[in-house]
Amino acid sequence: MELYQKTAAELSAMLQAKEISAVELTQSLLARTDAVEDKVQGFVTVTREQALAQAAKVDEKRAAGQALSDLAGIPMAIKDNICTKGTLTTCASKMLYNFNPPYNATVVEKLAAHDVVVTGKANMDEFAMGSSCENSAMHPTHNPHDLSRVPGGSSGGSAAVVASGAVPISLGSDTGGSIRQPASFCGVVGLKPTYGAVSRYGLIAFASSLDQIGPFGRSVEDVAMLLDAITAHDPKHDSTSVQTPFEGTTRANLRADVKGMKIGLPKEYFGAGISDEVRTQVLSAADTYKSLGAEVFEISLPLVEYALPVYYILSSAEASSNLARFDGVKYGYRTPHAGDDLIALYTKSRSEGFGAEVQRRIMLGTYVLSSGYYDAYYKKARAAQRKIRQEFAAAFETCDVILTPVAPTTAYEIGSKTTNPLEMYAGDICTVSVNIAGLPGLVQPCGFDENHLPVGMQLIGPRFGEQTLLNAGLAFEQASGLKNIVAAL
Amino acid sequence: MKYEAVIGLEVHAELSTQSKIYCACSAKFGADINSHTCPVCTGMPGALPVLNKQVVHYAAKMGLATGCTINRLCKADRKNYFYPDLPKAYQISQFDVPLCENGEVFFYVDGEKKSCRLERIHFEEDAGKLLHDEIDGTVVDFNRCGVPLIEMVTKPDLHSSAEAKEFLEMIKTTLSYLDICDCKMEEGSIRCDVNVSIRPEGSQELGTRVEMKNINTFSGAVRAIDYEVARQIDLVEHGGQVQQETRRWDDVKLKNTVMRTKEDAQDYRYFPDPDLIAVEIDDDWYGQIQSEIPELPIARYERYLNEYGMTAMEARQLMDSVSKSDLLDAAAASGKIKPKAAANWILSDISKYLNDKEVELSDTKLTAQKLVDMVCLIDSGAISGAAGKKVLLSLFETDESAEQIVERLGLKQVSDEGAILALVQEVLANNPKSVADYKAGKKNVTGFLVGQCMKASKGQGNPKIINKLLAQELDKL
Amino acid sequence: MAIERKEIEHIAALARLDIGDANFDHLAADMQGIVAMVDQLQKLDLGDITDQIDAERKNAFRADVVEQAFTPDTLIAPNAPDFQAGGVAVPRVVE
Repeated sequence: MELYQKTAAELSAMLQAKEISAVELTQSLLARTDAVEDKVQGFVTVTREQALAQAAKVDEKRAAGQALSDLAGIPMAIKDNICTKGTLTTCASKMLYNFNPPYNATVVEKLAAHDVVVTGKANMDEFAMGSSCENSAMHPTHNPHDLSRVPGGSSGGSAAVVASGAVPISLGSDTGGSIRQPASFCGVVGLKPTYGAVSRYGLIAFASSLDQIGPFGRSVEDVAMLLDAITAHDPKHDSTSVQTPFEGTTRANLRADVKGMKIGLPKEYFGAGISDEVRTQVLSAADTYKSLGAEVFEISLPLVEYALPVYYILSSAEASSNLARFDGVKYGYRTPHAGDDLIALYTKSRSEGFGAEVQRRIMLGTYVLSSGYYDAYYKKARAAQRKIRQEFAAAFETCDVILTPVAPTTAYEIGSKTTNPLEMYAGDICTVSVNIAGLPGLVQPCGFDENHLPVGMQLIGPRFGEQTLLNAGLAFEQASGLKNIVAAL
Repeated sequence: MKYEAVIGLEVHAELSTQSKIYCACSAKFGADINSHTCPVCTGMPGALPVLNKQVVHYAAKMGLATGCTINRLCKADRKNYFYPDLPKAYQISQFDVPLCENGEVFFYVDGEKKSCRLERIHFEEDAGKLLHDEIDGTVVDFNRCGVPLIEMVTKPDLHSSAEAKEFLEMIKTTLSYLDICDCKMEEGSIRCDVNVSIRPEGSQELGTRVEMKNINTFSGAVRAIDYEVARQIDLVEHGGQVQQETRRWDDVKLKNTVMRTKEDAQDYRYFPDPDLIAVEIDDDWYGQIQSEIPELPIARYERYLNEYGMTAMEARQLMDSVSKSDLLDAAAASGKIKPKAAANWILSDISKYLNDKEVELSDTKLTAQKLVDMVCLIDSGAISGAAGKKVLLSLFETDESAEQIVERLGLKQVSDEGAILALVQEVLANNPKSVADYKAGKKNVTGFLVGQCMKASKGQGNPKIINKLLAQELDKL
Repeated sequence: MAIERKEIEHIAALARLDIGDANFDHLAADMQGIVAMVDQLQKLDLGDITDQIDAERKNAFRADVVEQAFTPDTLIAPNAPDFQAGGVAVPRVVE
């Protein structure tokens, strides 16, 4: 077995037993990256030198007998919308093609304290807007399981580099499904934590009230391990950050036990629009849970019908304001065509710097906030958000977790959905409600379709239900054997 | 036709917190360009705001001092617009639920008490500064970005530039009483925008209003209002119509020019800032804020007029300075001296000293206790008024008590009649010519003789007793 | 509701985007479709639920303490498209 085929937990054990050094491991995974990156194109930036220097430091510390984190020396990738001081952070946009953050995101500081080895910044849809990674201004990323297909998005790069074996773990961000849908398409595990569990400081905002950073891995245990490293209340830098009951403890508390667990299947998530193969695989996962002693029953979440309008109103409104700071004045792209005209400097920098999808969302967001439309759209969407939250809260009075598909289909062909944005948006139907309600969602592989493409399932928990989700995920992973799937490339 | 001016003000005051409203950068004025900046206040991608609690506390203090209702639950909203001095391209302000609402400010204009209602007070962040003289284009200094402001919006209750000025002065005095703003006009600590309309006298309708920006001083506000009222009357009387627009006041050319017309009115797309959470002022916090509100300037003014028997001028001078007013009230509270006597000292010798030295009371060592002791020494005849002035100089500069200073400087007044009689007799014996002149009817030599007696007593003889005994001795001759 | 051309121009101006004639019709068509999608929300009956201040969490504050970790040279200069006289430079702004 090659090192790139091992999970972070396995590699961690080898490092601690000094069977390998961090430098050897990093070199090995950089070699895997070199071998597959031409095909997958999961990275925007590979940070070879820094990674090797970081690995050497970890080896020195270990040689000196210092107590180290389980993650020390483990190579990983970070989505390119998370600020890394001294390393380009582009959001896969021409607008930030040269942006070198003067500070580290809180999660990056935390990971540094755990001595992880960052081997690169992962590709994404520009400013995290998109579900296929095709909106990257740099290059599209290819699904490691079928290079003609998309890896999903927006954290497509973060999912693909884990699925390809370039790294065992990575960080993504999820505003409407951006961790979970690519995890599903790439056959890896991805967790969108409860809103506020992970600090957003240094995450370049798309929609502040929905954005959440979360981990990818090829096993539930690896995802728990990375979650433990990044979960923390950050009162100094993020007002929306919260204290969680599971901070740093989910891996230690993992138990593959679902006996008596109440699992709800919301019928609206299995209806028209969901492909037969996806439906069949997720329902068969439900059967697995039954056989493991869980209580599985149908529930109803009818408001999912309104989830897309609510999501696209709220996220675009916030984005139109969050992305206004990219104006060509202070950093990033500035048009060479403005002459002495300040307004032209703004409009040309923005129109030349932002891609088509980003401009569409800014237009929609500006529209729903503008005078005369605010009440009908933004205000109504906020009220609907309360109602959706209430609906989930009521559901969690009868069940512990909710099981749903992640996306209507498995990974589709590159270019097949780029002409009509609405078709792309429709793919977010199963994931956006989780962000609207601020809940945690875990996605992991539950089978393959006839093209041997991974099918994912989504477990949704109540606020702070991460441990329950991970335990349920682990139970399924052990029962199904669907763990540590590395694409053959 | 006669017209009435209808004036409303929007006053911005910078709060004197140590750090900025949403980050830990210093809020101090006058630093090197961009030296008080961080990722948050320069709008770096990914940076997030965290609210400075003191800002809410200070803003609520102003609300309570102006009779506002405090919205116990409020929030921050984003006001979206593009400008180089606004790095995030939105200002974090408050929109539909401001911290404070429905207040009223009282003030005197030419002895008449007036009031102006406050629609709201909210907290927000200041913008940066554009520098035009450094280079060919414009350079942006972000130091002021994120300095906390309160914006106070009045109802259109003011009707003359004089009323506007007195209102503004009262706002300034109140801010200084609350100690929440340094009130340095030259540093832009208090700024205002003015809304002006006119209507026929007696009418209750509101006319079309013009907003004026770029007013940096209270006297500038007076000039700008007088100009605009005259401009509108002239316009209407010549058959024109006032347009709803924003005009820019030029305090050098003493005229205003159109900045924005109604057509290009901004659409700020306010919405709740999703990076921040609700602000709640619970009962404990509310009580704490309330306990910090001192007696307000207008109350003191009226007390000085009505209870201390001061003139309007004296009362106003004392009210205007919270430190002098505090000194007076503390001195009066001793019960040992007449408030009027303390006020006289404060408005004359003490004010003169502070002006000459260009210092604040708090920079000196003078305390109410010391002032009271000194005045008591004069009242009891232990020292003369003239000696009191000398004592005062030391009270400012040393830690000694008034008694110690009197002792050190040997200023104690001699009131012992026996001792003074001996002195008088000695002076008369030493000045036979003056005595002869007196006998010859030149009564005005008395002054010279009194002076000689004072001199002989080394200035410590009680002048009243010297006068009395001298007159008595001269009569005997 | 259908959006008029003038309205799209107004929104683009507010958002400081220069749509360009070549892209205009395409974007306008996309906007129509997207707005029609979000318009589905109009049929949702919200009953007595209104948009109010979200008070699920309250009072995240910092203390009034100064910390200065950056200088213009470490913070602004490295990323500024045009850095002059200690700050970012823009075309002359006439106020």
